[in-house]
Amino acid sequence: MSSHTSHTTDPLRLGTFACAWCGLTVSTRAADGALRNHCPSCLRSRHVLDHVEGGRSDCGGRMSPIAVAVLRTGDWTVIHRCVRCDELTSNPVCADDNQLVLMRMAVRPLAQPPFPLEAFGTL
Amino acid sequence: MARNNHSGRGQRRRRPQRHKDVLHAQGGHRAHDFRCTSCRLDVSPDAPGTAHRNHCPNCLASLHVDRRIPGDRDADCRGRMEALGMSVRDDGEWLIIHQCASCGELSANRIAGDDNPLALVRLALRPLALSPLAFRLAENPSAAFHEFDS
Repeated sequence: MSSHTSHTTDPLRLGTFACAWCGLTVSTRAADGALRNHCPSCLRSRHVLDHVEGGRSDCGGRMSPIAVAVLRTGDWTVIHRCVRCDELTSNPVCADDNQLVLMRMAVRPLAQPPFPLEAFGTL
Repeated sequence: MARNNHSGRGQRRRRPQRHKDVLHAQGGHRAHDFRCTSCRLDVSPDAPGTAHRNHCPNCLASLHVDRRIPGDRDADCRGRMEALGMSVRDDGEWLIIHQCASCGELSANRIAGDDNPLALVRLALRPLALSPLAFRLAENPSAAFHEFDS
């Protein structure tokens, strides 16, 4: 009984998952066939894969996006942080991810700079 | 002349070696400094604004020595960690996201008061400079964000 329930609620085995934050039902494959692990609407994820050990994680906490980073290839990745165990993961951006949320994260450092940015105008 | 010199050297007592108060050995003078693996700068761990400096203020590179808690020295990877991106906490503090070049592990660390501002801003601007939207903004600033309105 319990194993049956865990199979049906396991996000790694189902073709769809419900976003833990906004409740959107999302298919695990994006339109181009890439494996997707975060909600395209609010970009939140769940901590089901352990990136340090490899394999599944037993944390299961919500992961919120904290940054976007650019790889050497020019692709964007979203950095997620687990709100429960503070684990960091990086995942590639899908084509249908919410561009507004991505752009808001990208410009967020410049909205609250720790030093005045006017000096860089002369460089 | 030469004879005088010879006799003088023989009579004079040898001067004792001067006491050295500079401690180069482990645990002595600047024992907790680290040398940046990327730019070889000698960095003191005392930084303004943070108690846990782990990256070079010049090139923002770090070393993979800690696992979970800053300062636990629990990781046996010791690979170079390069700055990957910039994140912001809710209170406005900037965090540098490092990725280990050897094992791919990610970590976040607050910026220090003496970090190179140019390197920080270049890191923060990297997603914007390399995105397709940046090219669209440069070409036509008003039309670039139209897809967000729909």
